[in-house]
Amino acid sequence: MQRWTSQALAVPSRTSWQRADLEFEGVEHDGASFVTHVFLNNPDADEATPRTPEERYAGYLTVFAHGDCWGDVGHCDILEPVSAFDRRPPHPLIPFDATLEITEALAALPDDTGQMTVTVLAFNKNGDSEGVLRFKQLTLLTYA
Amino acid sequence: MTITARPAPNAAPARLKVRQNIDSLSAQDLSDFRRAVKQAVALNDKRGFEYFASWHGVPFGWCQHHDPLFLPWHRAYLYWLELALQSEVSGVTLPWWDWSKAAAIPAAYSSAQADGAENVLAKAPVNPFNATRKSGWPTETSRAPGEVPQTPGPPYQQEWANAMKATNYTDFSQRIWAIHDTLHVWVGGTFAQLDFAAFDPLFFAHHANVDRAWRIWQAAHPGANPPADILNESLQTDPALKVSQVLDVHQLGYEYAGTQSTVPGSA
Repeated sequence: MQRWTSQALAVPSRTSWQRADLEFEGVEHDGASFVTHVFLNNPDADEATPRTPEERYAGYLTVFAHGDCWGDVGHCDILEPVSAFDRRPPHPLIPFDATLEITEALAALPDDTGQMTVTVLAFNKNGDSEGVLRFKQLTLLTYA
Repeated sequence: MTITARPAPNAAPARLKVRQNIDSLSAQDLSDFRRAVKQAVALNDKRGFEYFASWHGVPFGWCQHHDPLFLPWHRAYLYWLELALQSEVSGVTLPWWDWSKAAAIPAAYSSAQADGAENVLAKAPVNPFNATRKSGWPTETSRAPGEVPQTPGPPYQQEWANAMKATNYTDFSQRIWAIHDTLHVWVGGTFAQLDFAAFDPLFFAHHANVDRAWRIWQAAHPGANPPADILNESLQTDPALKVSQVLDVHQLGYEYAGTQSTVPGSA
């Protein structure tokens, strides 16, 4: 299991939003498929932590991934278009953005929270403790 | 059930094929479907199952995931495969696995034997089309439900209901692909490997249900199309289709049992 805890994210006042999403930007999907479980303000969460509102569990994200590079050398290198006339589809391994709706979990935090951390537990079939979830940055988006 | 639609504006109405829940297929329909898959698996040219399986990951890598083309691409994919199967056995359609209600892989796909022979829906060879086999490639499909025990398993009733509440295409697409990803990972084995998953006949029952979800959502949200900037995009299949060509399942000649359907009257 890989555990990752974010730096503090600013949380706006509860009265200012109706929906909240966590956006994991630039998620890599070239390795083994994996599942993540996400907790708010619970950096000690681990595999044994109940996935309940009391533990500030926010939900799960699963990524169906490629598993390995199955082609020749260079097959999985993400290349830029070779020219302005390059109409080939984007490379299949370009990282993507994954969204987890956390409206209920965020609303359940005390209104004076002000900021929160996000702890992600990530699991794959190999039991890896690192490199399971790889992504560029995490954003909290709220919508009025 | 008979449903018709006009294949072209001035054409006579034609009968649509109806895709059914795998658990509702008659013994004859299931036997016909197995026969179609078995015959297609035996073909080593562009009519064959392995050719279509090769579109998704190894070796062609044409599939679209985690973006707005996910639903249109897979709809086109199923459309072409279904036609190939109908060329083998007239009238067969791709059944769907309703993992919003069912808690396990359907027996039709999991029993080792069927019709007095090895069940072609339970396991299939992995022979990427016109490709030289490389180290590490599996030789046949496999499943290992729950191999990542922390992955929630079906039924995904709540997740399905949440997807259906989406009020725009982007939200719906994201929510349904999230369930789709979870099911792949829960099934495990080669089914959890994007590059080999489509060699398993179960893949197409899974995706028929994804496509059915889109169809049901579309019926409830008329005109809620994918973003305008992708409607003219070509979907990489053989031959290619544009996104705009796969929005209406009636124009692709099929419908799902149990969903609302409106067809032209006699006037």
